[in-house]
This record gives sequence, structure tokens and C-alpha cells, in this order.
Amino acid sequence: MEENSKTVSVTQKKKVHLFYCLDCEELARKIAAQSDLITLQSINWRNFADGFPNLYINNAHDIRGQHVAFLASFSSPAVIFEQISVIYLLPRLFVASFTLVLPFFPTGSFERMEEEGDVATAFTMARILSNIPISRGGPTSLVIYDIHALQERFYFGDHVLPLFETGIPLLKKRLQQLADANNIVVAFPDDGAWKRFHKLLDEFPVVVCTKVREDDKRIVRLKEGNPAGYHVVIVDDLVQSGGTLIECQKVLAAHGAVKVSAYVTHGVFPKHSWERFMHQNNGSEKAFEYFWITDSCPQTVKAIGNRAPFEVLSLAGSIAEALQI
Amino acid sequence: MAAASSTATQSPFKTFDASQANSLKPHSSSRIFINFKSLTPNRNRQIRCLIKSFENQPQNQNVDFLSGSDSIHLIQPNSSPSSAISMAAASSSESVSKTVKRVCLFYCDETKALAERVAAESDAIELRSINWRTFEDGFPNLFIPNAYGIRGQRVAFLASFSSPGVIFEQLSIIYALPKLFISSFTLVLPFFPTGTFERMEDEGDVATAFTLARILSNIPTSRGGPTSLVTFDIHALQERFYFGDNILPCFESGIPLLKKRLQQLPDSDNISIAFPDDGAWKRFHKQLQHFPTIVCAKVRIGDKRIVRIKEGDPEGRHVVIVDDLVQSGGTLIECQVCNFTYMISVYYESSHTFLKSGGYHLQAMATR
Repeated sequence: MEENSKTVSVTQKKKVHLFYCLDCEELARKIAAQSDLITLQSINWRNFADGFPNLYINNAHDIRGQHVAFLASFSSPAVIFEQISVIYLLPRLFVASFTLVLPFFPTGSFERMEEEGDVATAFTMARILSNIPISRGGPTSLVIYDIHALQERFYFGDHVLPLFETGIPLLKKRLQQLADANNIVVAFPDDGAWKRFHKLLDEFPVVVCTKVREDDKRIVRLKEGNPAGYHVVIVDDLVQSGGTLIECQKVLAAHGAVKVSAYVTHGVFPKHSWERFMHQNNGSEKAFEYFWITDSCPQTVKAIGNRAPFEVLSLAGSIAEALQI
Repeated sequence: MAAASSTATQSPFKTFDASQANSLKPHSSSRIFINFKSLTPNRNRQIRCLIKSFENQPQNQNVDFLSGSDSIHLIQPNSSPSSAISMAAASSSESVSKTVKRVCLFYCDETKALAERVAAESDAIELRSINWRTFEDGFPNLFIPNAYGIRGQRVAFLASFSSPGVIFEQLSIIYALPKLFISSFTLVLPFFPTGTFERMEDEGDVATAFTLARILSNIPTSRGGPTSLVTFDIHALQERFYFGDNILPCFESGIPLLKKRLQQLPDSDNISIAFPDDGAWKRFHKQLQHFPTIVCAKVRIGDKRIVRIKEGDPEGRHVVIVDDLVQSGGTLIECQVCNFTYMISVYYESSHTFLKSGGYHLQAMATR
């Protein structure tokens, strides 16, 4: 979806009741603050002694005939079942329509079988979501940001309408605010990232990196483009350990990049791997000038805050617009 | 079609010799049904079947066991030269007789011990392994070794959803196995959790039993058709109908194991069965009909709930409290106390400690 104006056109006014999981409370509040049309609703999240969820949706009668949405975050397998229980129930409460906002689609990188015996967990996740009951508004809209592989659009069944959004417009807006906005080059760490993003960033000069096998090592090399003298921004959909980004940064710096920043939509950062990106020695040593992430992974955002070089770009505005579709 | 009834009275075994009846000479296209009807319906039955010979037999004989409510224990006879078709030999040669079918049994860490015991019950059940690993982000990194080897085979998975955290990884395997060109898929989930949260009393209650049933109903169909789902003593009988059409719930019970154990007790003729509430009575009384029954009930006094005896008399009896599951154990303890003033001793047996019963079902499945 391309970026469009912030004001909602009159023909699209939909009052939406927004439920959310515990992790996402802050993002949910930001979304509701974007528009009077969005009202926050609450759920009692409790557990039985055996660990299974004991859930209650407050004011269930009030959402009859209303447009309803749920903001989910599957940050680990353990929290999936309780959120799915709510997701499977809400459409059946006589709502006018149901939208599931899942900013980060986990398992997205395990989406193919290279060998017979591989278990592509992205298929499992897509199947679980495709089984959301249909509501009076028809198939559930499923809003996902920067899914890892474009092919995953077709993993979903007919009762779900995937709506693939992107965080790139937020990046572009932020880049325009920089002092050296006219000296920016976008770098992609591999061909996959180039395929996913180059059309959205075609006004910038481009550098493409690639991983080359040397013996049993894999080394990042420059494949196309020239970063010398530029502020290079590495763009990818997600970051896990951060190893690839760090190697890209070294290669770009070695080829003459003046500054290197990074943008990922999803700061997954398992086991606090974001720590290796923090500025050392009071900012005198900085590998990355800026590191932009969105608030799709709320646990990371809570841990990092806005400590340099990290800056959180919020998806709240984009989600509020998507809810009007 | 011939039907025979055996009057199983005092002697443990009644032999029915099919060769006596001329009408039982099989045609190449005829089928013989041997239906054992016992006049004492609740006795444990053992059915032994040794097919000695057929005159002019065609090469392909099919023997199918249709089990009623009792599990059938297939006893392999000693192979003797005189039997043209013997059970033991059948498994080694597909062309002679399709009597015993192999089952590839997968399992998770939690169910490994049970899976090993199940496989030990029968040569027809073969254990298979899965590589269970995790990515750094906590999501599963799974691999099914030798996936080609299960093509055309009957496959089963022994699952355990002991907590929400382990559901996704097992579900990934459960959704993947049926699509590997297997001939049929059975999911054995001995304990169906969430079973107690199966209704909405208020608009806004989230019945997690419905969620789990829906997730399981979405298992892809394999070449063998809908997945069979074996579960033991599900909490509410209505849950049978929570499942969709692509799955066949098979509701088993651990009660036969209890009955067998009770018969071994020295005071087996002094046993009464107690149910802690009407729900338990509804679920189990038909399987335990020939024991005297006591039914308890929770009665509200002020803002307390106290367990009282509603029907029956425990005096002088060895009372066995029967229920499907135990959580904190509070109810069972109160039942025990209110019965204890009257009787000698109390035990409770809860169905979900009888995991071994899973073995009987898989074995019966292997013989169909």
C-alpha cells in the first residue's frame, strides 16, 4: 500500500472497536489516539492453575453490529493459544466485521521445504489464521507489515483477506528530516531484500550486498553500487542476531561510506541481541549512526526505548488507516 | 452371513469352530462375519482368532476385526505347519493375507516414554523420531527424518498439550504429516486440555475447548481421509460435536483398565463406585453398571460449597471415587472425607493416570 494522506476521507468513516493483547497495550493506545473513530476495548487475561487461559471479553453485547479489530503479537509460541482463543471468538459475537492486525508475522522465514521432512512453520501459522471463523462482514482482514516472503500471501485460505502493508513510508518520512537528506544511498543486505523493497525506494541510489561462500565461511561482499561519500541506510524486513547487518556495515565503511544507518521493520532481536548495536564510549564509537525499527515487536521496544542509535518509528498512524479499509 | 453366539458363562474361553458349519465355506467373494455376543455384557472379553485353513483358498484373505466396546487383543499363535494362513506369518508376506498393518508412530519429548511402551505392545508399531530444535527467537525449527520412508504408511502422532507453550511445535508436525503422502493419519491426544472450559455462561466467556477443537479440526486430510483423533475420557460428552467434518473423534476410556485392576483386588466383591458429582455419573455410570453406586453432590450452605452424599450408602464398603480428571484435588479430598466416616478405605482412580490404555487402541488400530 502506498502512503496516502493522513485525513480519512468522509466515505470511509468506520467506527472501530479495538481489542488488543497485553504486550500491545501501548501501541493500541497510540492507534486509538490517532482517530476518534477508534475505541479501545478490554479483555480479562487470566490463567487457570494448569496454565491454560481463562479469558473474558468485556462488554461483549456492545460490539454487536460494530466493526471490531484485534491487535495481536505472537512474540513466542506460548502466547499464541490465548490470543487465538480470542481471535476465534470475536467474529462470532455478531460483529459487523473483523480485522486482525498482526504487525509482525513470525515464522515468516521458515516458509519452504528444501528437503522432504522440513516443517515449514509459516504454513502452520497461515493455516491457524486461515481458520478464523467468518463474521457477518465476510472474511477476516489480516493486516501484516513487511512479511518476509511475498509468496506467503498465497499460504492463506479463502476465509482470510491478507492485507500486506509496509513500514517503508515511515522510513522515507524520517529520511527527509535528516540534515543530509540529499546524500542518502539505500543498501540491501541481499537479493531477497532488494526484491522486496527496491520499488518502494527507487528515488534513492542503490547498493546491493551479497553473501559469498569462501570455504565454509560466508562473507558479505558488495555486489552492485558505490557507497563512497554517502550516508548509507541498510534496509531489511527484520533483524534477528544482527550479524548480517554488522558485516554489511563493515563492508560499506570499508568502501568509503561516510555514515551507515539501518532500518528494519521488525526488531525481533532474540535474547537482547540489540545490545551489540549500542553506541560505545559515550557515542565516540558508533558503527551505526541511526538504527530505525517500528513498534511491531513490543517487547523489543520496551527493552530499548529510544536509546541511541535506536529510534522507534510508530506504526500507529498506518494501522489506524488500515482499519478504515 | 453367519452369526454365532457364544454363551460365555463361567468358563473363560469358548471356542467356536467355524469348520463345523458347511455354510461357512468361503466363496471368493463372500464375507464371513463372526459376531460374538456375550450374555454377560460387562465381562472383559478376550477374543482369540486362529484361522486354520480354507479349502480352495484364494491367495488374498482379508481378516478385519470389528471391535465393539472392548479392545481386541490380538494374540499371535505359534505358527504351525498345518495352518495355511497364520497370523504370525501374515505380517511378513503382504500377498498372503493383509491382517496386520504397520503403523509409524511419531511422538514428542513428553510422550516418549509412553510411545516406547506402546511400540513394545506390538511388532506392527514402529517408532519414528523428529528433530525438535528451536530458533533463537523461540519458534520451532523442526525436521522429520526419513520423510520418504512414511509414504504409503499408516502414521500416528502421540501428542501431549500439557501447556499452551508446547502446542505450536506439535501442531506444526500434526499439520505437516498428513501431507507427506501417508496412507492415513491418527492423532492420539490422550488428554484433551481446556475440556472444562467448554461453554459460555456469559456473553464474553471464551470457551477455549472450542478453540482447541477448531485448531484440531483444521488438520489437513491425508489420502486416508479425515484424521482420526483418539482421546480418553473427554471432560464433556458434548465436545464430540465441537469438531468439524475433516476429523473423526474417537472417544476412548480408561475405565476398562480400572475394572481389570479392581477385579484383582482381594476385596473385589466389596467395591462400590462413588461419583463426585452428577457430571461424573453421567459420563461413567454405564460403564460401571454392575457395581453399587454412590453419588455425591456439592451443596451450597451460606457461601460455602460442601460435598454431601446424594444417593447410595458407603457403609462397610471399599469405595472407589471415579472421575475423569483431578486438578487441585480439593473435590476428591472432600468426597473421601465424607465417605470415610462410613467405610473401610478409599482410593480414587483418575482416568488420566492410565496412559497405558493408549497402547491398546493403537494395537487394535494396527490390526484393522
